[in-house]
Amino acid sequence: MSGNASTETKPSSKDDMASSKEKWMEKIEAVQIPRSEINKLIMNYLVTEGFKDAAEKFQDESGTEPGVDLTTLDQRIKILESIQDGKIQEAVQMINSFQPQLLDDNRYLFFHLQQQHLIELIRQKNIDGALKFAQEHLADQGEENSQVLEELERTLALLAFEDPESSPFGDLLALSHRQKVASEFNIAFLTQDCQDSSVSKLAFLLKFILWSQEEMDRKKLKYPKMGDLATASIEDPK
Amino acid sequence: MSVAVMSNVMDNTISSMEVEEPPQHVQDLYSDDPDKLLEAVSRLKNMVIGSNRQKSIAIKHGILPRVLALLGDVQWGDEIRRESCIVLGSLVKGTEENVRAVVDACSVPVLIRVLSSEDAILVEYSLTCLKTIFSHRFAPKDMLYSDPGLIRHLLSLMNESVANKISVASILSDACSTADHQITLANHGVVTHLAALLVSPSIKVQMPAVKCLTEMSYKNEHVSSVIAETVFNGKKLPDLLISLLSRDKPDKMQLQVAACFTYLHRANALPPTDDKVCMKTLPCLVRMCSKEHDTETRVVAAETLSYLIEVDKELQATAAISNRLISTLSEFLKPQQIVFKPLTGTTAVMHKAAFKAFASLGANDEQIRKRIIETEPLMEKVVECLDEPNPDIALAAVRCLHSLSRSVQQLRTTFKDHSVWKPLLKLLQHNRQDILAVASSTLCNLLLEFSPSKEPVLESGAVEVLCNLTRHEDVGLRLNGIWALMNVAFQADQRLKSQILVTLGMDQIFRLLSDDEANIVMKTLGLLRNLLTSAAHIDHIMGLYGKQIMQASILILEGDHGPETKEQALCMLSNIADGFSAKDYIMTNDDVLKKITSYLSHSSPKLQTAAVMCVSNLAWKEEDGSLERQAKLKELGVQKLLHSLITTSDQNLFDRVKTALNQFSPN
Repeated sequence: MSGNASTETKPSSKDDMASSKEKWMEKIEAVQIPRSEINKLIMNYLVTEGFKDAAEKFQDESGTEPGVDLTTLDQRIKILESIQDGKIQEAVQMINSFQPQLLDDNRYLFFHLQQQHLIELIRQKNIDGALKFAQEHLADQGEENSQVLEELERTLALLAFEDPESSPFGDLLALSHRQKVASEFNIAFLTQDCQDSSVSKLAFLLKFILWSQEEMDRKKLKYPKMGDLATASIEDPK
Repeated sequence: MSVAVMSNVMDNTISSMEVEEPPQHVQDLYSDDPDKLLEAVSRLKNMVIGSNRQKSIAIKHGILPRVLALLGDVQWGDEIRRESCIVLGSLVKGTEENVRAVVDACSVPVLIRVLSSEDAILVEYSLTCLKTIFSHRFAPKDMLYSDPGLIRHLLSLMNESVANKISVASILSDACSTADHQITLANHGVVTHLAALLVSPSIKVQMPAVKCLTEMSYKNEHVSSVIAETVFNGKKLPDLLISLLSRDKPDKMQLQVAACFTYLHRANALPPTDDKVCMKTLPCLVRMCSKEHDTETRVVAAETLSYLIEVDKELQATAAISNRLISTLSEFLKPQQIVFKPLTGTTAVMHKAAFKAFASLGANDEQIRKRIIETEPLMEKVVECLDEPNPDIALAAVRCLHSLSRSVQQLRTTFKDHSVWKPLLKLLQHNRQDILAVASSTLCNLLLEFSPSKEPVLESGAVEVLCNLTRHEDVGLRLNGIWALMNVAFQADQRLKSQILVTLGMDQIFRLLSDDEANIVMKTLGLLRNLLTSAAHIDHIMGLYGKQIMQASILILEGDHGPETKEQALCMLSNIADGFSAKDYIMTNDDVLKKITSYLSHSSPKLQTAAVMCVSNLAWKEEDGSLERQAKLKELGVQKLLHSLITTSDQNLFDRVKTALNQFSPN
């Protein structure tokens, strides 16, 4: 009877990987991914990001099911456009038609939409309208949430300046502020619509690659790294 | 200037103006023109969504009856009805007061009627609204069970859309609050429908399904076994459920699934040895107690864990060695900031959860109890919280102490440092019965052979408190009271014995001896036995209460009692016979003497033994008057009966008979 079952040791696969880019690429090439899976990822990206026409075309050409009703995509795009155009009340009415629960369930988003409407009134120099709107629709929201109160105070402070754009609170009037609200809406809409994630799977995969590489870097491992995500080019191990 | 603008805006809360004069769109709600009407409801909808203030204003304008009328009447057409339903759905997302107003306006029957509409979207809105209403405890839940066809209809609606699946599962889950509800739902085949939801790709659908299964299984053996045996897609339901317990699921889902398995186990549908219970649920809950999780998660995990392991020794043992659970739980008792009594909020619930978990962990095993007791700052906190004004925390603390008090050995040293008596006795005067029950049981345990600590207990006025407890209407509390007194009297000094007798009173002793609960009679006799020990005490007590005590013994020996009770009475007589002057109380009582004699030939060796001990003590030869007593006993045929017992096969009886016979022999 032999005491030692195994005395032979295999070369560590870790060293093997690090040794050359070629071997690394060979191993990557060997992995099989069905085309339909890639198509699904692309469809998911198009749907999540709201590229409706592209999604329809892609459905025709690849036969990939979008997984959601593309008309909801239409709704979402219309709402996003309204917000980006500063037509906030229109947007709110559309949200209430398509997703009646959304703004009751996302009060912070609702506040930001109301706030954006107030900003639009201030932008139009409609001071009376702005004050009236703030009194009727915003005053009570600050009572429950201190963060809301602070943001509301910043917004109303715009009224104190002759030239609000150049005031310390001018950032609120920037068009990028509309974009911020639009994207907050987009996330809420996608989360509400029974999807478990509001981030596209493709974006998630890229994040996953970056995170994995960071982890390997942190452990000072040598490996061929994907430097540029957009071209997916692999660098030699350093 | 900005400050002035601000205050102007901010001060404007709901003014009476807003309420008194309904705006145009509210007035238009009563229009006959369908277009105008639709526009009015839509405007109302856009007003109330998102704003609690606007909801309150709308309700104050009295819109509810009109909105319900619009919703309930088919003549208005789909659009107006849908918009009305959305308005209701939004109102119930407001304050609790708003929801009550909607419920009080009798909306639920209207919403239920809408469920039979042809318009699938309207039905979906109605279900969503009902879901929100049912999430409040004051919802009229019984209404769901009033119409036998309703649950079946709800189940059929689940197939229509994802939103319906979520709404129906949530409604059923919230409406399941009694055993009848659980069984009604199970009889309608709800379990299979829920199993179908478990395999849904969306966690939003899975969650209410798991919640509903949890509600249905709670303390219901029948329904739990149905759940455990239900097969869907070739898999048993627990096997579908277990996949939702994995670490990649959100904490809330893991907790909910763990609660479901806990209830299934406690309702005997899954044995403690089932891998899903001991290898999955238990470690999951232990892990969720650790500090990486938020407070709410930790509290729920600890509470669920304490229920999971409450009765099973093996699960307790496994939990105790898992992932440093004991020290993790003790961290619950170390609040981040200084706290003042009464404990409130997070600190309070954390204390409560930890005490409960410790109580379960220490329920059976001496070693675990030792480890718990030695964990800082546990005992200190337990004692501190006995005095807690919040009764729920005091109850959790005393339950924990009760569990630990089964290890008297451990506590003997610990309690010298922690003055546990005062708060414990204070709890014994609490007005909550559940607290009284645990506190008195704990005291019973602590007084058992706990001689070193009796002094402080008694100085705290325990005797009065315990005597009062024997007068309680609740049988369990009477038992605990007399039991504790019996333990107090064990090896007590004469002063204490007198104190007990005086405080309790002979009348109360007779009342207890006539109690319907046999255990109370037993413990009362046990108390008398403990009082009647050592000759001097016996003579003293008999001098004061001899007549009554003899009456008591006849009451028991002639009454309709089991052999254990009669044995206690005979033992008490044998104690009396152990005194000096006390012996006369028996010797001059022919009834009692005849009784004792008759028990010598009883069929039960135990009763025979007790009777022999009586005789033996009475006939004890080195004492004054022994010859006269022996003569009297011989006259009654006692010696002869003893001779006939010498052939017994019962060793104990044989020894006693020999000793007794020895008294009658001249040397």
